[in-house]
Amino acid sequence: MSDTDLTLEQLDRDGALREAIAKLDEAQATRADLLRRATVGSAAFVAALALPASSRAAPSGRDRDILNYALTLEYLQSAFYTETDLQGALRGKARRASTVLGAVERAHVKALRKVLGSAAVAKPTFNFKGVTEQQTPFLRTAVAFEDLAVAAYKGQAGRIQAKPLLVAAVSIHSVEARHAAWMRYLFGITPAAEAFDEPLSRPEVEAIVAKTRFIAARTQTSRKGRRPRLTG
Amino acid sequence: MGGALAAGASSGSAASPANDLRILNFALKLEELEAGFYAAAIDRGALRGEVREFAEVVVVHEREHVALLRKVLGAKAAARPTMRFGVAVTNPKKFVAAATALEDAVVAAYNGQAANVSPAVLAAAARIVSVEARHAAWIRAIAGKLPAVDPTDPILSAKQVEAAVNKLGFLR
Repeated sequence: MSDTDLTLEQLDRDGALREAIAKLDEAQATRADLLRRATVGSAAFVAALALPASSRAAPSGRDRDILNYALTLEYLQSAFYTETDLQGALRGKARRASTVLGAVERAHVKALRKVLGSAAVAKPTFNFKGVTEQQTPFLRTAVAFEDLAVAAYKGQAGRIQAKPLLVAAVSIHSVEARHAAWMRYLFGITPAAEAFDEPLSRPEVEAIVAKTRFIAARTQTSRKGRRPRLTG
Repeated sequence: MGGALAAGASSGSAASPANDLRILNFALKLEELEAGFYAAAIDRGALRGEVREFAEVVVVHEREHVALLRKVLGAKAAARPTMRFGVAVTNPKKFVAAATALEDAVVAAYNGQAANVSPAVLAAAARIVSVEARHAAWIRAIAGKLPAVDPTDPILSAKQVEAAVNKLGFLR
């Protein structure tokens, strides 16, 4: 199996994305349409991020740092939505959003880990302090996470050296913006507050994440082949 | 998709002042189209409720995008295109469909040029593209559709974007 033919099934090993898509009764597109779209989107992403090993140069030191920074933010988001799903406290549109976003953020984690290989940072342990257990705190936190992710990716756009990685990063960046708008809509605030979104530097983003105290412990850099404890 | 990625990333369209100029004018045309579309829809008075609120907020953003691009381009800015919007500005259902297609095309257009522009243009485009993505998600939420399903957004070449925009039939 070549990396460029990666299918949805491979990106979505736990089936959450397919299950989420199967429940999309409110969407006008057919399930087949959505599956095809998700497959195409994932394939493009992986094609950009994880070129076949034979032709792929390992990311440069700076790119590796940026990818690991992105990976940490994606770990945070995927763990948040995954835990929310497991808690099962959400209802209606918020529940559906959490399921879809969990699957998407897990796909981001998986792709970033794939391109980083043995250089990928390990998944930290998280403690979300109950915000995954109630709808309003969940939505407030989701808005903050998604807006933060948009600003974080934006802050790195000009720093990424390898063009395929830049292309992959911008195509995640705008997806995070769609998520931010979605969560803001569900929370009842304007999805697009300003004409321009501003970037945040890595220290600014890390200071905000540190303030949440959601990261309970950081484990050491993963050894080659080691898998995260949870799919998130 | 792989072809589009390859074209965007490695077709020899390395950043240069001439490329920046061409790409900025391409972005300007798309922003003019958006601003003109929303202004016309508001003007015709057929929109109600959330859809109207969306148009009123978004038109301001698109005008600010146009103003920024015109300022950057100065005398090199292309003239405003001639546009005609037909039923898309009088029929709310058609308006929602067109707004969704237009916003998606603009997101894909900016993403498709990210690897072809200078760092300064990339920084400006990055401040705009996520706002366009927010618009695209917002109009879907209003329409009762899922705002975001795919892990990544498409990366379209200028040609592919032109084709998507031409389907709307707004540009004369």
